[in-house]
Amino acid sequence: MNLVQKAVGQGGKLAPIAIPGTFGGMNPSVFIDHDGDILVNVRVVNYILYHSENEQRFPSRWGPLAYLHPEKDQRLVTENYVVRLNSNLEVTDCAKVEMLELHQPIWEFVGLEDARLVYWDDYYLIGVRRDTTTNGVGRMEKSKVSIDKNAWTIKEISRERIEVPSQSYCEKNWMPITDKPFHFVKWHSPLEVMKAEGTMAEQVSLKQGVQPSQDQRGGSQLIRWGSVYIAITHEVDLFKNYLIQKDGIYRHRLCVYDDDLNLVGISPEPFSFLDGRIEFCVGAAEYEGDLLVSFGFQDNAAFVLRVPRAIVEDMIAEAL
Amino acid sequence: MSIEALIVDLSHDPFSPELNFQVAQAYDKEKQTASAVSFYLRTAEYGKDSHPSLVYVSLLKLAKCFEEQNDRLHTVSNCILQAVSYLPYRPEAYFWMARFHERQQNWQECYTWARMGGNQAINTPLPDDVDYHGTYCLMFERAVSAWWIGRKDESVSTFQRLLEMDIAPEYRQAVEDNLARII
Repeated sequence: MNLVQKAVGQGGKLAPIAIPGTFGGMNPSVFIDHDGDILVNVRVVNYILYHSENEQRFPSRWGPLAYLHPEKDQRLVTENYVVRLNSNLEVTDCAKVEMLELHQPIWEFVGLEDARLVYWDDYYLIGVRRDTTTNGVGRMEKSKVSIDKNAWTIKEISRERIEVPSQSYCEKNWMPITDKPFHFVKWHSPLEVMKAEGTMAEQVSLKQGVQPSQDQRGGSQLIRWGSVYIAITHEVDLFKNYLIQKDGIYRHRLCVYDDDLNLVGISPEPFSFLDGRIEFCVGAAEYEGDLLVSFGFQDNAAFVLRVPRAIVEDMIAEAL
Repeated sequence: MSIEALIVDLSHDPFSPELNFQVAQAYDKEKQTASAVSFYLRTAEYGKDSHPSLVYVSLLKLAKCFEEQNDRLHTVSNCILQAVSYLPYRPEAYFWMARFHERQQNWQECYTWARMGGNQAINTPLPDDVDYHGTYCLMFERAVSAWWIGRKDESVSTFQRLLEMDIAPEYRQAVEDNLARII
């Protein structure tokens, strides 16, 4: 049973998030702010993920898994929209994030990708940017944004690119900890916590904790849930399609952490949201005792799912 | 039904071609064509052995979604070609291929696909409108393209035959406009 069926069947709710004037949104990140507003950052891209499932009998011209950008524009461009939802999870406000023009993009992946929304000393969109070098080096970036709730405008007001102590090509999917400013979970095997108050990240801890059966990748924010932290992570079962191209099936797990950010539990079995092969959760928030999780479906659709508390408690118990 | 209700239904039977198709149609109606693509494609992949009409229409709708996103001509033609090869005895995808080439001003290709489509006889109803109203649509593509490849007499006679048929008003207007230009 997928999580949407289970959650809605027990009183939860599923909300599709559409951005007017675009072809669709993806990888939404839900967050509840200090005003109690349900905010969701939605990634909008200029490409379509073409992903053939099942026996992959109807592939694109470039194979069963292809990012179909405009044919005269090879860039994969991301823009971000922040929407506000009412208590029925309907979109009441929507605006594109006005980003600062700090540089000319010099690689095909343009923009801040898979940004998670948090509030520390201000609102931040935290994602990966790969357009600052000619070979696509990826680094997490903190974009501080100002949200004018009356005019409903969202503007980036400053940006910091997070460098890492060791050499690496691409850092992405760090999971911000909502009540620990500038702290992130970077890896789960072993669990590595980073702090990045400025532009250089430093390792806070590196501990094994529970050993996941499969490498867990970010992921939603880590949020406080009673006496523990929880987050949704993903894992990928990779396979080669008939063209020997990399392909995969994404599944998720709920992770549980103690106050010292030890990984103390993880779902024994992975779950799916809607049984799509590519699904991706980058947001979680507690709302009126329930859990809101936001996920993208095949990179082409965005949803927020309200999961009743009882289900979350069962999932935590199973994880522990 | 709302997209939300359709998706909830789909969550109970996520590989159902019918439910995936309904979700795709709902997104398509809202012009959320990226979202529609995923569900039309799932309809095709999970329905290929059981729901040929849904699969066929989905492949054509995929082409339409990509066409509306602009600048994806290879993908548009690939989707139509898949429809042709999936049910080669139906005429609709031939018409789409002819119309695609007409829009690109590939006149020989347009003429060829229109002629090939005219030989396909299966016209059983499809589960959604695919812009194909009958054989006259292929005749129209043939008439338009014939003029551009040096077959003026064939073009004129085909347009004149079209005027004698029961055709949609927009086609009748286009036929009259074309005849006024070429006679």
